[in-house]
Amino acid sequence: MALTLSPTLSLRKAPSISDEEFRKLRDFIYSKCGIFVDDKRKYLFETRFGPRLNALGAKSFSEYFQILTLSPDKDKELASLFEMVTTNETSLYRDTKQLDGVRASILSKIIKEQRAKGKFELSVWSAGCSSGEEPYTLSILLHEELGPELRKWRIAITGVDLSPAMVAKAKAGVYQEYAFKTTPEDIKKKYFTPVVGGLKVTDSVASLTCFQSMNLNDAAATKRIPKSHLVFCRNVIIYFDEAMKKKVVSSFYDNLLPGGVLILGHSETLHKISAAFKPMMLPGAMAYEKI
Amino acid sequence: MSKVRTEDLKPGLIVSEDVKSPDGRVILPKGGRIEAFHPMLLKGLGVTEVEADSGDDEKLLQAAADYTREFFSYANPDSPVLAELFLYATGLVAQRLATGWVPPTLGERMAQNVEHLSDVLPADEADPEKIVRHETELASFPESSLRLKAELESPKASIGSLTKLIGQDLGLSAKLLKLANSPLYNFAEPVESIQRAVTLIGLREVSTLALGMATINYFQGIPPELVDMKSFWRHSISCGIFAKILSQAMGSGMNPERFFIAGLLHDVGRLIMFKKLPYASTEALLYARENFVPIVAAEAALIGYTHTAVSQYLLASWKFPAMLADLINNHHSPKAAPDPRLAAIIHTADAMSNAVEIGAGRLYVLPDFDDESFALMGLPASGLAKVFADYETQAEQTISAFF
Repeated sequence: MALTLSPTLSLRKAPSISDEEFRKLRDFIYSKCGIFVDDKRKYLFETRFGPRLNALGAKSFSEYFQILTLSPDKDKELASLFEMVTTNETSLYRDTKQLDGVRASILSKIIKEQRAKGKFELSVWSAGCSSGEEPYTLSILLHEELGPELRKWRIAITGVDLSPAMVAKAKAGVYQEYAFKTTPEDIKKKYFTPVVGGLKVTDSVASLTCFQSMNLNDAAATKRIPKSHLVFCRNVIIYFDEAMKKKVVSSFYDNLLPGGVLILGHSETLHKISAAFKPMMLPGAMAYEKI
Repeated sequence: MSKVRTEDLKPGLIVSEDVKSPDGRVILPKGGRIEAFHPMLLKGLGVTEVEADSGDDEKLLQAAADYTREFFSYANPDSPVLAELFLYATGLVAQRLATGWVPPTLGERMAQNVEHLSDVLPADEADPEKIVRHETELASFPESSLRLKAELESPKASIGSLTKLIGQDLGLSAKLLKLANSPLYNFAEPVESIQRAVTLIGLREVSTLALGMATINYFQGIPPELVDMKSFWRHSISCGIFAKILSQAMGSGMNPERFFIAGLLHDVGRLIMFKKLPYASTEALLYARENFVPIVAAEAALIGYTHTAVSQYLLASWKFPAMLADLINNHHSPKAAPDPRLAAIIHTADAMSNAVEIGAGRLYVLPDFDDESFALMGLPASGLAKVFADYETQAEQTISAFF
């Protein structure tokens, strides 16, 4: 079908980024959060950042870069930049086979050991928690695992994410229907209540969690996370280059208690990144134990 | 209210004055709706423009362009080729919007539960070489395909030997005949035997087709719940058709069958990934949709390698003819191929079939496009409109020859 080539019907909508501007911005992002932006994502960059440039009235990426680095509002601008480079949507109860494996082989073991020691404490770090789906899923798993005994336990699930906007969403704990595509119906009924705008986690589920925005590149900040029995970091290190992957994984190592376990995303592996962990084959998942 | 040129009419447009032929007959009364056949009919009758309310029409077109642009966000917006693809896809989307189509919401983009899937190999053990070995150790390349390959490479091949070979496989014979009778060839007389097909299409050409079709058979066992196999093959066949048309547009002596089959099999590595890593590869599909990146980029991010790395090992272990393997393995990187000009054909055909699918509501972003390799083909970007038009006349019937 022929279309009138109206000038408004062009493919380009955003200002274009020169190779040099792209390199500058990419290096800036890398230095701020360790996220490595591949050359292939140059055009995606233009599209993602275009509306922000328009909103700021910046006519070019150079002007935008000045706002990012020199303006009095640069911290606020950095937060919105973080939002644009990490928009990873996820869902509750994602990768149920992995979760089942973790629950059956790891959580139950840690719980047993803690009980034996009379230490009813458990801490979990969810690194790159996006809008809170993972920490709440883990809280629900613990509710299911411990049942009425939960009252005796002190449990802390710390969710951190680079983007303050994501952390705010996580704190709100309200999800739309599509976040539940992998959630069993009974779990959804038991732990969520309808509110305006979606379904909200129950107070009990929320009470085990706390959230903060944090840069995994910031060694001083990651040291402040309480020592953990379990670290979850699923589909986060895919954004990093080799050096940053090593740095982040070593901060997980430092954070884990002896015998603690690191869980990565379904297709991720520590192969080539770290030999400091012992790989464990769970049914439906891999896990890495601190040795 | 304004005048709209006949060739710019889109289905769904409401005319604001009676549309009359030059001799005064009313073809479509005021308030009537333009249907898909109208532009051609009116043009035939010599009507050059009609009065229509194009205000809504312009809005619709903008909405279609905004929707379509999202799926082009990964590729160079200044590419002349992509500008053509974008216009074409926008046109398709506008047509759909005009007929009341509601674009998918974010929730629909993401709504898919893949939790029933499990990978055959854990992430630690699943590199391209290992998953291909796992496949080739379990199932050998079909005997009939091996013989076809030998036939294709043999200097002694004859109409007699090839006809006999194909005749041993009734399913294959039937498929080849269906293909020979499809608009892909558009022969004046029905082709009733393989022998006749070989005479008309050529010995080497039919051998190539037969090898390609036999290879498809190999993958027929993939359970449909793993992945939407129908969409997969639609895309593959579309790519084949585009590749054939493009190669023909580049002049004679190109062996269009070679490009048809390379297009048909270009994503064969993905089939191995579906078989061996169903969870991981479906997760990559979801990731691609949720994050607006092409599937190939999602594979690289999530799994660590892409389907062309897998096809490389697969086709090598099958000793597949290099004239096909080089095109398949480099369809995302034509520059890396021994002959970038030829690999660019599959690269372009893949992009064009993606554009058609975006227009049809498919939810995957167009991969990066290599304009420099396209330039080697010697076709102007403006010529692609004609390629799309040719495709339209062949697509549906050719695709249905496969199902």
